[in-house]
Order: sequence, then C-alpha cells, then structure tokens
Amino acid sequence: MSENLEIIHEFSNEVRDLLEQLEPSILDLEKVCNGEQAQDSPEISEALNNIFRLFHSIKGSSGFLQLNNITETSHVAESLLDRIRSGSMQILPGYIDLLCGACDFTHESLDYLDKHLNDEGMAEKARGLIDTFQKILSGEALPPTVGTGTKSIESETETRTAEAPIQIDLDQEPDNLKNPRVVEFFLQEAQDQLQVIEQDLLGWIKSPDDTELMNKLFGTIHSFKGNCGFMNLADPERLSHSMETLLEGVINGLEVDRTEVADLMLTHLTAFREVLHDISDGGPGRIIDLERRLAPIREFISLEEEVKEESEEPRVKLGEILVEEGIVSPEELQSALATQNDKKPLAKKQDIRVNLGKLDSLITLIGELVIAENMLINNPDLDGLELENFSRAAQQMNKLVNELQEMATAIRLIPVAGVFSRMNRLVHDLARKSKKKIDLQISGESTEMDKSVIENVIDPLTHLIRNAVDHGLESPEERLAAGKPETGVILLSASHEEGDVTIYIKDDGRGLNREKIIATAKRKGLITGDGSQLTDLQVHNLLFRPGFSTADKITEVSGRGVGMDVVLQNLKNIRGNVQLKSKAGEGTTVMLRIPLTMAIIDGMMVRVGKSLFIVPILSIRESICPAADTVTVTPDGHELVRIREHLFPVVRLHAAYDLVPDNYELDKGILVVVEAQGRNACLFVDEIVGQQQTVIKGLSDFIVKTGNVRGVSGCTILGDGSVCLILDTHALVEMDKTAEMQKI
Amino acid sequence: MNANQNAFDLDDDLFDDEDTQKDKYLTFCIATEDYGIAIANVTEIIGIQSITEIPEMPEYIKGVINLRGKVIPVMDVRLRFKLPPREYDERTCIVVVEIDGASVGLVVDTVNEVVDIPEDQVEPPPKSKHKGGGYIQGIGKIGKEVKILLDINKILYEEELATLSEATQSA
Repeated sequence: MSENLEIIHEFSNEVRDLLEQLEPSILDLEKVCNGEQAQDSPEISEALNNIFRLFHSIKGSSGFLQLNNITETSHVAESLLDRIRSGSMQILPGYIDLLCGACDFTHESLDYLDKHLNDEGMAEKARGLIDTFQKILSGEALPPTVGTGTKSIESETETRTAEAPIQIDLDQEPDNLKNPRVVEFFLQEAQDQLQVIEQDLLGWIKSPDDTELMNKLFGTIHSFKGNCGFMNLADPERLSHSMETLLEGVINGLEVDRTEVADLMLTHLTAFREVLHDISDGGPGRIIDLERRLAPIREFISLEEEVKEESEEPRVKLGEILVEEGIVSPEELQSALATQNDKKPLAKKQDIRVNLGKLDSLITLIGELVIAENMLINNPDLDGLELENFSRAAQQMNKLVNELQEMATAIRLIPVAGVFSRMNRLVHDLARKSKKKIDLQISGESTEMDKSVIENVIDPLTHLIRNAVDHGLESPEERLAAGKPETGVILLSASHEEGDVTIYIKDDGRGLNREKIIATAKRKGLITGDGSQLTDLQVHNLLFRPGFSTADKITEVSGRGVGMDVVLQNLKNIRGNVQLKSKAGEGTTVMLRIPLTMAIIDGMMVRVGKSLFIVPILSIRESICPAADTVTVTPDGHELVRIREHLFPVVRLHAAYDLVPDNYELDKGILVVVEAQGRNACLFVDEIVGQQQTVIKGLSDFIVKTGNVRGVSGCTILGDGSVCLILDTHALVEMDKTAEMQKI
Repeated sequence: MNANQNAFDLDDDLFDDEDTQKDKYLTFCIATEDYGIAIANVTEIIGIQSITEIPEMPEYIKGVINLRGKVIPVMDVRLRFKLPPREYDERTCIVVVEIDGASVGLVVDTVNEVVDIPEDQVEPPPKSKHKGGGYIQGIGKIGKEVKILLDINKILYEEELATLSEATQSA
C-alpha cells in the first residue's frame, strides 16, 4: 500500500509539473484568436503539439493509475486538440478557456487525489467538463455515443494514436521502462487486467449479445493499451489497439461472428503474457509475430493505415514508416528528430525528488554545524594560546563548512519560472473578465530563489498583478484616448541584486492618483492636514496601511482593499521589502526585494551597553558618527538628525530595550541609518562590532504567546554560545512612525 | 506488517514510560517551600547560564538561553510567584520542561531529588482565591514533609489568560 502511495505522489508531482508547462502553451494559442498568428504557423503547431503531448502524457499516467476522471478529461481535451491540429477546427477563445478549465480540473483532482488517494469525488465535475468538450466535438458528425464518452471519441482519435507513441518515444522512453518501481507496478496491473480481459472474453463467448460486458471489455482493453503506451511498449500497444478497434466495431454494429472474435482475442492474451514475462526478465517487450497476429483482426475490420508494416527495427525506423505512410511529412520527421536530439542532453540531467522535510532538517543541521564550528574555533579556552596547527585545521574546516552551507542553500533554490508562468494564466483570466487588452511580458524567470520563499511570493504577486490589471491598466478606449497603445503592458521581471532577488511588476497604466490616496487617508483618519507636504513616497506608502483601498468599487477582479496590506505582511514574513513608484499617467512599478533564503541572513552586529544585536544588512543604509550640531530636538522630545539635508528620527535602542548604554550623548555613539518601507530611522548604538552570517532561529512560541515582542524578529546563536537578538527594522521604524504621523 | 509491529513496540514503551514515571516528582526549593513537578514533563536540569534578555516581556520571563543549539525561553519561578528576586548562585538551576513540544526553562533556587508520591498521598489543592493558588495541582505528603505539586501548564500559561481578561475588561 505504501508503495502505491509513493507512486501516487510521484504521479501527482509529475502531473503538476506537466500542468505548469501546459498553461503557458495554451495561452500561446490565444495569439491565433487575436489574429497575431495563423493557426497553421509553425509556432502555433509547435504549441499545439506540445499541449497535445502534455495532455497525452497526463492521460497515460492517470490511466495507469486508473484515475478515470482525469484520464477521460485529458482524453477529450486531447481529442479537441487533435481536431484543431489537423486543421478541421478553428481555434476559438472558448476552446482556450475550456482547455484552461481542463487544467484547473486536473489541478483540483490532484488536490483531491493527494487527500483521498483516488479521484472518485471529482466524477461530477469531470462529467460536466467532458460533456462540454463532447458538445464541441460532436459539432462534426460522430458515431453514436455509447456509454461513457471514451468510446465515441476514441473512434475518431484512432488515426493519431499511432503518432502519440512516437512522441512518447521521444519524451519518456528513457525513464519508465528503467524505473523498476514503475515497471513492477505496471506488470502487476497488466497481469490483473489480462486476467479480467480473459474472464470477460470467456463470458462474452457465452453471451455474445451482452452490450454491457462488451463495454466493460472495451474499457479494460483500453486501459491496458494506455498502460502499454505509458511504458512505450509499441508492439503490445498496437495489438491491443487493434483489438480495441475491432471490439468497437462490434459494439457499433459490425456484423461478425462474435464468438470467433472473442476466440481470436483470447489467443492474443498469450502474446501479451509473453511480453510481460519478457519485461520482467528485463527484455524490451516486443511481440515477435505481431504481423501474423494482426492479420486475422484485419480480416474483420480495416485497421486503417496506421498498423501496416512491421519493420525489422520499428523503434529506430518508426519515423520513416510514418513518412512512408504519409502520416508525417519528411520535414516533420526531421523536426521531430531534431527535438529528439535536442532533448537527449536533457535526459542526462539527473533529478531526484526529495522530501522537503528532509531537506529542511539538512539545512537546520548545517545551521547548527555553523554555530558549533564557531563555538569550537572561538572557544574561550583557546584564548591566548599559540596553536598553529589547530588554526590551520580550523581554517580548513571553516572553508568546508562555508561551502557546505552554500551548497545546502543552493539545493533549495528553484527558478521563479513556475510562479511566473502561473501569472500568465492569471493575466489571461483577468483580461477576459475586465475586458482589457493586456500583454504580460516576463523576463528573468530563471532567477532562483529558496523554495519556501517562492511559495510566500505567490500570494503577493497575485495581488500585485490583480492590482495592476484592475487599478493600473485602463480600458482600451481610455488608453486610446490618452494616446497610448490599446494593449496595456505588464512587465514582470526578476533579477539578482546584491545578494537579494528583486522582482519588478511594472504596468504602463494610469499610475497612482495622489489626490485620491490623500483623500482616502484623510477620510480614514490616517493623516491630518491636507497632506500636501507629504512626499510621493510617503503618499504611496499609505497604500500599505491595513484596510486602505482607493478602488471606487469593489470588483470581482481585485478584492476589498486588503491587497497591499497583505503584500507587505507576506513580504515581511520572508524578510523582504516592497516599494512603490508611480507617475500619474505613465504607470506604476512595484519592486519586491526578497532575500535569497530565509535561513541565513547577512547581519551587522551592534552593541548597546552589554547587549549585542544583529541588524539585517539588507535594511542598513549607512552608519554615521553624528556631530553634536546636527541633532535637533523637537519640543515634544523627539530627536532628529540631519544627514545631507534630510532629517531622520533617532531611535535610542537603550531606551527602547531598557538597557544601560556606554554613553547617552548621541555624538559619542554611532547612528545606524536603517530603512524600511521607505521610512528611515537612526538606531543609536554604542559600537558596531562587525558583519557576520547569521543563522536565523525563531523565538520560542512561548515567548510570542506570553509577551508582546516588538522590534525583534528572531534570534541567533553567537560563537560563544550566547543568544543574540535580531532586530526587526520594520517595527523599529514603526515605533517612531506614530509620532511622525501625528506631527503631519 | 512491520509498521504494525513497530506500533505495538511503541505502545509498550509508552506504557513502560508511564509506569516508571507515574507518581514520580522532581522536587525543588524556592524560598522556604518545597515544590514538586511531575517528572514526565522534565527533560533535563542544567546549571544557570547566561540569559539573553528579551525586551517587553513580563518580569518573570528572564529571556532566552542556548540549549545545545536550541533557543529556549527561561522563566524565573520565584518572580512568577511574586516572591522577591534573589541573586543567582552556583546552586541555582534551570529545570527544562517540555509541554506540547515546546521547551521552557524554569529557574529554581535549588533542585532536591526525585520522589515517589503515590496518588493516595496527594490531597486536592486548597480552594484559595489567593494569587498563585491556581498553579497548584495538589499537596503531596511524604511522611511528615509536604510538597506543593505544581501544574506546569498553568505555571506557563495561566497568568497570561488572567492578565488578558483583566486587560480586556479594563479596556
């Protein structure tokens, strides 16, 4: 059972990956609807082939696990694509939505599958979706539908099932047959299926007119074929396919001697069993006398051109056969071969799926190792000793530990492409709903970030994109009136900057409306006065206040004005930062700065009296020794320091944390200028001790529950084993904010 | 099969644990009184070490310590009982207890011993409205001696509920 579980998980992960690739390709098809590309252009047919192949793979794998709802849905999607691909249907926007719907459905089913280990609960939804697909498909004359839809469609998809295996050949051949677990599962499953087929055939001989039995038989043979396809077993797949076709003919009223058909099929079961045997012995799973076996079937029903010549080395020459038979043109074959060659190096890239929990404990352990190493090398017992050999060994160890730490961090890094491609879909849906024309341009999608960081970025990104579409971009008419191109552009880019990742979301819409923001802020009591003296930055930051929204109306697209607040909160959770830049009429840029990883940060250690604190380097702008005459004290006791024509409020850490500092005079200590959310504050400390890599540890839940910890985001363990607090610059700047806001 | 076997083993272990730990209390001394806490909650006892203060915490939360790479909070039980503070010395101990997976260190004056107090020797706590009375699980008797048995859960979490409701009432 547990093995089963693992296979299901593997399947679920695999299909999720496939879906991630699917969506962008589906959206490519939109270009046809927009008239940017012809349906038969190479780019589109490439996309169509891609989508087709992906759906086919999903169908294959889910059929293998008997997840019938997923299988059938991907099957009808595949059929639709086939029609489009063959040119017999024109791409319509509705189809794209439908295909997206199939992706969504599959996603949902996977969620369901993860919980319940089957997809039975999804039957109703699948039905609805399949019905829609079939309505579209039956726009053309179709054979009468019998039972579960699979059949009626199967009949008209036959012509291309022959191609499908080749594509599988190109893509999947390297793994499935070599994966012992998959093979084992396949063998078991196939044996069971053969058993069932045998029983049903025998039953059929007894009652040749039992339609229900025939349908059942058809279903089992079809699944068996699917499994063979999944394993790239071309021969048994062809044989079972021919059996399926014959059976279908019979179901649809082909006049034959049913007993004879059943007898014939029974003899083929032996061949299948031989194949299974061959595979379990590590063989390639060929059927030696395939042609001889296919011949009698052909007597009953014309098997169409796809099953004709048996080649000596079908695997190698499969492409040529297809060319001969006119199924693919030589050009297509060349490009297919090119793809195959292109893909070969990829196959060598070896991936391994690892449980995230294991990875997390590895990272934690390495964190501990860094601390332990520090404690060892800086051990107080060694003070004052001349230990040349020890130092050399220590240095070596330090180097290794650092490398180990880097490597471990790198393991968790994954490209943002996955998240970005989701945005494609989002923009597509939003554009449809809001009737705006939008072009989403993505760059830097190969930028890598920690997996957990990426997960935390999805929500903010979704919010920001929604905002950009709903509040930022204007309607096509408005844009034309403003002299802009009708189609709005949203730029989504990611890049590495100074050890962090920066993500830009830039739109060329109407920009932020300063007056409207100020008016709302006044109405909500966030500011007093007319707000005219606020800088643009300050105005923009008002948007990040909880519950702030300037949207005139709540639309389906963007929520209730909790957006920016949530964005900020999410980013704070991963120690990131948001900045807004906007110019009225020209658009808005949102910049997200995100640390690569949440486990380790660059920290600056500062000292106040006897206590040490870590300030994240990310938020430090500069450090200064203030001259006495640059300090101004306001009548209500707030201290301001002038640095190059700007006044910054001073936060005395010793006062905030009730400590005894070396000096109380500002000019005898050091001011660390920190920035958070576009606001600055100077932290008054006694000394800057130095910079160091800081392994972040959370404060105990108990502390969080018991007290009202402000200004501390976590802690770390120093070389001497003592615990050092990491300052939360957001909160520290906030401490001063109340005062500043009142002043305004 | 194997998994099941293991599950049984685990259960047996648990029973053993329960059996050996039942009725056993770690006793310690604060000011003039002897207290006891159920040994099942205690993971270890360590000497006093440097504590990093955390701002804006109640007085009785002394801060956090590094316990072999784990950062755990430390509570001064003396201050928790609103007794006058006392300089820490070489007999001061931190008793590390674990509840629901969270470790907390309790600073006590001295640790005495582990004693057996059978259930029939434990009397229910006096019904007192006095502050701190709520932490008592029962009164254990060993011959002539009396040990105040404490409810760890309440020591860790009780007051904050009280203060919380006070705060909301006054607000």
